[in-house]
Amino acid sequence: MKYIGFLVVLTLTVALALSVSRQFGTIPPLAPLLDPYHGFWQNSISEDELAEDKLELNKLSSEVKVVYDENLIPHIFANTQADLYRAQGYITAKHRLWQMEFQTMAAAGRISEIVGPLALDLDRMTRRKGLAYGAEKGVTFIQENDPESFLLLEAYADGVNQYIDQLKDAQLPVEYKILNYRPEHWTAFKSILLLKYMTDMLVGDRDLEYSNLRKILGDVMLDKLYPQYPSGVEPIIEAGHKWNFNPLAVTRPDSINYPDDQLVIDPLPQPEEGTGSNNWAVSGSKTKSGNPILANDPHLSLNLPSLWYSMQLTTPEYSVKGATLPGALGVISGFNENIAWGVTNATRDTRDWYKITFQDESRQAYRYGEKWQQTSFRIEEIKVKGEEAYLDTVVYTHYGPVVYDKTFNSNRQDVNFALKWNVHEGSNEQKTFLLLNSATNYEDYNIALDNFTAPAQNFVFASKGGDIAMRIQGKFPLKWKGQGKFFMDGADPRMEWQGYIPNEQNASTLNPSRGFVSSANQHPADSTYPYYVFDNSFEFYRNRRINSRLSEMKDITAEDIQALQFDDYYLHAAEALPIMLELLGSEFENDDQAKKYITLLKEWDFYADPNQKGPSLFYIWWQKTYSQVWKELSENVAPIVLPSYYQTVLFMKNEPSGPVFDLKNTAETETAAAHVKQGFREMLTDMKKWELEEGDFSWANYKKTTIKHLVPQFKSFSVENVYTGGGSGIINATSERHGASWRMVVELGADVKAFGIYPGGQSGNPGSKYYSNFIAKWANGEYLDFNLRTADQTEGVLFQTILN
Amino acid sequence: MKFILFTFLTALLVIVFNPFLHYWSVMLLIAIFAALVGNKEAGAFFAGGLGMGIAWLGQSLYISTVSGSNLPQKMGDLMGFGSDIVLLAVTGGLGFFLGAFSALTGSLFRRLLKRKPNNIYKGY
Repeated sequence: MKYIGFLVVLTLTVALALSVSRQFGTIPPLAPLLDPYHGFWQNSISEDELAEDKLELNKLSSEVKVVYDENLIPHIFANTQADLYRAQGYITAKHRLWQMEFQTMAAAGRISEIVGPLALDLDRMTRRKGLAYGAEKGVTFIQENDPESFLLLEAYADGVNQYIDQLKDAQLPVEYKILNYRPEHWTAFKSILLLKYMTDMLVGDRDLEYSNLRKILGDVMLDKLYPQYPSGVEPIIEAGHKWNFNPLAVTRPDSINYPDDQLVIDPLPQPEEGTGSNNWAVSGSKTKSGNPILANDPHLSLNLPSLWYSMQLTTPEYSVKGATLPGALGVISGFNENIAWGVTNATRDTRDWYKITFQDESRQAYRYGEKWQQTSFRIEEIKVKGEEAYLDTVVYTHYGPVVYDKTFNSNRQDVNFALKWNVHEGSNEQKTFLLLNSATNYEDYNIALDNFTAPAQNFVFASKGGDIAMRIQGKFPLKWKGQGKFFMDGADPRMEWQGYIPNEQNASTLNPSRGFVSSANQHPADSTYPYYVFDNSFEFYRNRRINSRLSEMKDITAEDIQALQFDDYYLHAAEALPIMLELLGSEFENDDQAKKYITLLKEWDFYADPNQKGPSLFYIWWQKTYSQVWKELSENVAPIVLPSYYQTVLFMKNEPSGPVFDLKNTAETETAAAHVKQGFREMLTDMKKWELEEGDFSWANYKKTTIKHLVPQFKSFSVENVYTGGGSGIINATSERHGASWRMVVELGADVKAFGIYPGGQSGNPGSKYYSNFIAKWANGEYLDFNLRTADQTEGVLFQTILN
Repeated sequence: MKFILFTFLTALLVIVFNPFLHYWSVMLLIAIFAALVGNKEAGAFFAGGLGMGIAWLGQSLYISTVSGSNLPQKMGDLMGFGSDIVLLAVTGGLGFFLGAFSALTGSLFRRLLKRKPNNIYKGY
């Protein structure tokens, strides 16, 4: 009896111990998570309370000092570059390990390993686009062409790995504990992959949509609704710039046979609406101090832990500070004692699709000219948590991977398109940042940029020497007019890209007479630029507001520039609303609710400040009107894109009774006024509902800016309803889910004065007081002191650590 | 008195060893400890449970008070408990059951061996 009793209790105890160590569905193993000595409770302790004077980091040539300022920004002082990047890897991992690993898992198409079959389609898409394939090419390219940088990439990886090997359970980031997995070792490949992932985030194409539009509208109407250079655009490189080079010749084939099917397939995921950036530099002639001032604010999806991590990196040769990307070496947007630089996305169609005609079902050969060319197969093994690995065969042609085929994401069995994208070619973007970090003048900046392929960026520059510059850098294919706007026939060799625009012929400007340079994702150059430039997503509003302000501003100070980065002027509303009010006429005079809104709109000063009510009303009214205007077009089953807001407003202004506004399938002839009125009616209905359910419709309350944790399901790790103004198309581009992910202002005087802020905090740990502590300041348009520090400076030190 | 002492010593054992050992090693230690001390079954169950439960609850409470972090609240929301108080109770409760069953197993093990006490000490 005693034996039985003992065995029963022993079994029960073992069963209990086992069951609380196992994962059940989405419930993580409870005991390791709740154990107060190892589990999540330990993640409640902030970094300053865990500070250590000394930490072990092997393979350094001499000791490295890390000084944290009161915002937990580390300042690394090392004697060699290898030591510097080894320490950067170690320190970054210490504060952002989970995030840097998770992002590269996403980039490698390995999310299913963490979350299970739910992410399988996402992983397949990532892999079929060939991101990891491109990163592998990148590794080989750097090993062969730039072995010194490869050594630095390996030093960084070793720093990360030494941290992972030292990591105790208690300090394991809480996301690992919840999702029940552990970090694996970092590699140079992962750093390169991360930069490819940025390309994926920032580069899109609309070949599918334009192919469909061409079929639906025909060439003439397509050019009318989607003109290459709408009237009134202000390009990045000042209009009238003289191009001092002889352009390469591009020959356009005499006849072009586009694959002419109207395609009902899901387009490739595109960069999200709202992704964009601003940067500018003003020359000393326009500033109060006579020093150049540079500003940069990249707009990305607002996430926690923040995409950016601030650091100062110092060697005896240089000291650089700014925003780093956890996982990549050096500073990405920042400054040193001599120069400052910043980036905005240079959207341009560098991704093209070729229709592939396979010889037979085996897909081993495809037609190319008169011949059959061999394909190759890449087997992607996708590990899936809790299930067997999924094997996905991707066919590669000389253009690139066949993304859509009979097994993937296709409603039609015969759809085979190969993706040609410069991300699949070997390149060395990392080198650009390594060189920029230590650059001292305009020549250094240009040499650094020559290494940059993708994602194409508008690199703004200013130097202590007084230069300001802008260069649009990427590896841009040489295209004949219209090439790559639509799907192309991969069997026709005449459809190939005819080379690349040489680096020195990329659009750029140095010290233009207007005294400033600026970019905000708009057209790169005016129509005199001798190469074909196309993209669907050029921006029309922020750039014009920036340019008009910079043109009229004088005696500019760093504070003025900060205020401009936080400018809430809603230019789109300022241009569209008077036209809409005019078209609305007096039809709603007898409706009290309508009269209240119209009065609010008429009194509005076009600033989208958080307490304003005008922007909410305009925003809804515009959305309704816009979808009404393009109702017929958007009802197509095939994916398309709609004409830009800018072009739509131009039509409303210039031809309000024109045929573009007529819906063909109704008996009446619609005009712009009809759509504006219908939009207004729909707004009234929406507003009635909103006022009943939510009450207040001031702008911040309406747009509900949210900074989401990278795992959207971890809602309590997100920060919701941030009270701040701005919006899409506004310089302060803070919409619901996007906004300035980093704001930086640098004045390049004898002593460089710098300011920066981002919507997050230095710690990646949701339990730390440094996780989201910058958000309130960021939402208010405030900045942190980003001045360079010396190793022995004592004020404002949180703690310091010696690595040895 | 023995009950209180056993509770206290179990808690101490958790406090001393848990920082270096996983919870299942701690369970094993509690079982060995209970076998050595030799409380009655019910006494061992509750004393072991209270010892580990109090140690876990105390440590969780200590961390959240000293750190002032809102992570317990966030985790409470995330795990569907809604509040950090519930999460504290769940942590203490889990500690209780782990400690209780470990001590009970140890106590029963001792009773098994008691029948042939000679075998245990023979040769040592």
